[in-house]
Amino acid sequence: MGDDHDKLLPVANVGRIMKLILPPTAKISKEAKETVQECASEFLSFVTGEASDKCQKENRKTVNGDDICWALGSLGFDEYSQAIVRYLHKYRESEKERAAASFSSSATLVSNHIISPSELTSHVEKGESSHRNRL
Amino acid sequence: MRQAGTYSGILSGGGISGKTGPHLLPLARIKKIMKKSSVDVKMISGEAPLVFSKACELFIEELTKRSWNMTIQGKRRTLHKEDVASAVAATDVFDFLIDLVHPNAASHLDPNEDDSTIEKNL
Repeated sequence: MGDDHDKLLPVANVGRIMKLILPPTAKISKEAKETVQECASEFLSFVTGEASDKCQKENRKTVNGDDICWALGSLGFDEYSQAIVRYLHKYRESEKERAAASFSSSATLVSNHIISPSELTSHVEKGESSHRNRL
Repeated sequence: MRQAGTYSGILSGGGISGKTGPHLLPLARIKKIMKKSSVDVKMISGEAPLVFSKACELFIEELTKRSWNMTIQGKRRTLHKEDVASAVAATDVFDFLIDLVHPNAASHLDPNEDDSTIEKNL
C-alpha cells in the first residue's frame, strides 16, 4: 500500500490545486480527487518517458528542464511547454543571482581578510554541492 | 528546531517564490515518480522536478476545469469521477488517460478483435 502511494502525487496537494481553480461553492467527490491524482501521476510518467527517450537518442544521461519542455510540446501540450519555458528562464535567472550573491559575499570575506582565496573556492563549492545533494 | 537549509527555501518558496511562485507539489515525490516511470531514466537534473511541479499544476488545472464543465452541463455542483472521465474522452491531448479512467472502454479496441482479447485486457 505504501509502495503504491510512492507512485502517486499526494491527494491532498492535488485536491488543493483543484479547489483553487473551481468556484468557492463547488464540491469535489473523494473519488474525483483520486482520479485526478492518478491522471496527474500518469501525466508525469508519460512526459518523463518521452523526455527520457530523447536523452537516450542523444546519448545523454541526465533529463533536464529543456527535455521536459520539448516533451510537453511533442506530446501536444504546447501551452504548457511555452509556460514552462518562461518558468524555467525565471528559475535559471534566480539561480544565477543566488550564485552571484553567494560568490560576492564570499568575495567580501576574502577582501576583508576573513578567509583566504583557497578557502573561498571550497566555500563556494560547498554551497553549490549542498544544494545539489538535497535533490 | 532544525535550521532552514538552502533547499528548504526553494521548497517553501522562499528563494525563488518571488520569481516563480510557491510550489504546490512535493519535489521529492515528483522525482520518485520520474525515476519509476522507466528503467532508462538514470539521472534527473535539479530543475526537472521543479519544472514538473509547474507542468503538473497546469495539467491538474486544465483537467479540473474541463471536468467542471461536464458537472455544470449535468446541472450539478459536485464534481464526480464520471465528469473527469467525460473530460478525458472529450479532449484529444488526454488520450493517454483513456485506459486509466475507462478501464473497460471498447472504443479504442480493434473491432476485428474477438471477445477473448477483451477479457484478457480486463
